[in-house]
Amino acid sequence: MISEQPYWNPVLETLPLEKLYALQLKKFKSIFRWTYENSRFHRSLYDEAGITPSDIREFKDIRHVPIVEKSMMRCIQCKDPYPYGDCLCVPLEEVSNFRQTSGTTGQPVYQADSMQDWDWWAESWAFILWAQGYRPSDRVFIPFGYNIFVAFWAGHYAAEKIGCEVVPGGVLDTQSRILKIQELKATAMMGTPTYMLGMADTAKNKVGIDPGTLGIRRITCAGEPGASVPATKKRMEEAWNAKVFDHAGATEIGAWSYECLDQPGGMHVNDALFLVEIEDIETGEIIDEPGRRGKMIITALDRMAMPCVRFDSKDVIEWDTNPCSCGRTFRLIKGGVLGRVDDITKVRGVLLSPVAIEDVVRSIDGLGDEYEVVVDKLGETDTISLKVELLPGNENNAGRIEDQLRHQLRLKTNLAYSIEFHDLGKLPRYEVKARRFKDLRKTP
Amino acid sequence: MTAQPDMEKLDEQIQRIKQAALALSEMGDQFPAVKRNAARVLVSVKMLEINVSDIVGLTIP
Repeated sequence: MISEQPYWNPVLETLPLEKLYALQLKKFKSIFRWTYENSRFHRSLYDEAGITPSDIREFKDIRHVPIVEKSMMRCIQCKDPYPYGDCLCVPLEEVSNFRQTSGTTGQPVYQADSMQDWDWWAESWAFILWAQGYRPSDRVFIPFGYNIFVAFWAGHYAAEKIGCEVVPGGVLDTQSRILKIQELKATAMMGTPTYMLGMADTAKNKVGIDPGTLGIRRITCAGEPGASVPATKKRMEEAWNAKVFDHAGATEIGAWSYECLDQPGGMHVNDALFLVEIEDIETGEIIDEPGRRGKMIITALDRMAMPCVRFDSKDVIEWDTNPCSCGRTFRLIKGGVLGRVDDITKVRGVLLSPVAIEDVVRSIDGLGDEYEVVVDKLGETDTISLKVELLPGNENNAGRIEDQLRHQLRLKTNLAYSIEFHDLGKLPRYEVKARRFKDLRKTP
Repeated sequence: MTAQPDMEKLDEQIQRIKQAALALSEMGDQFPAVKRNAARVLVSVKMLEINVSDIVGLTIP
């Protein structure tokens, strides 16, 4: 039975590392040549650096190829052909799909995909879903707005591709989505961690249904790091009585990483479709060993219309060289995506990653899922305040909870906070990507 | 332990489909339904190549 097969591709996913590297080198040469010959933007970047396709002979030569940053992508969009600019490698007639980035870090980037690229997106997601236990017998409910953001479009098409039945929960409101899941007996779901927690809350408190009884067995998350934050994952799993899996992807890149069923405390990189490198943020040195964090430089090895070659994703990751019990040889990144270079900020001289605060808040019983962090300046001193919600029935425990919160925050982030308690429901709610971290020092 | 798939044989079949789809595409220049559906077949062929053909004959440098 095909459903018993643990791997979407039993050959690629178990290929010895040296063969995977050989495959990556072969594919890199090919996508680099394609990009050099077809993208005016890349051609001028490479000409300026004095590098041509024939210079890529060994793996180490890849490191001489200039890195592309998102800010460069925004500039080239002003050029022809509209609206993609001069990195488009196929005639406009061959573009079949428009998507754009959410603009979380600035002006959105427009992304063109050909029909082949779009099927490649679904293919990369097929690796993810199969590894997370999705099978043709699953009925997958997708509570997503089906808009210009790529998010779960690719998950939808991949679920179809692997043989699942897909229920597009597009324009329904949250309560209607919950009732539809109940009516159809859906077995799997995809969403952002913020929305999955909010949906569970709505089911319980507005619809009067315990979400854990709905029969959802697995949830695949994207868009935020929450599913790799242990306390957030635990809250989702307890609320839905389901396994929660993380995956990482981006509009300009593709779906490049995923948790497998064995959940080894990290995510596999799809080394057959992507070349992931980690660069030291300070020195630019490439990091191959475990235990050192850096930013990800990534190449999508088969994406053609708007190639992604040595793209600076600004995701902070680190290698885990321990083998995974699932048998995949695809490399692991420890703890998933640990944050973004843009988000990691210095407060009173200490490097702070907002994800660490989320892990503390959601590990404490008596606190709600929502929180807000505000960093500001009082004179020459940085201030940091944390707003949390107290769950009903915990009013008498507020002192104990505050002590616990202060202690854990000090331990995990090495900072002291001003803490504000709010009633449940008073902090802002988010449907897609949450903005819970505000650094007012950066406001002009 | 399941038997390893014969990648060469799989690739042979993929290349046959590719040739047939390319021929259909050429014949469909005045026949949109043939041309566009052949294009879709070629997209699927590309995914098969990514999964199979790209590692056939791969040598470690």
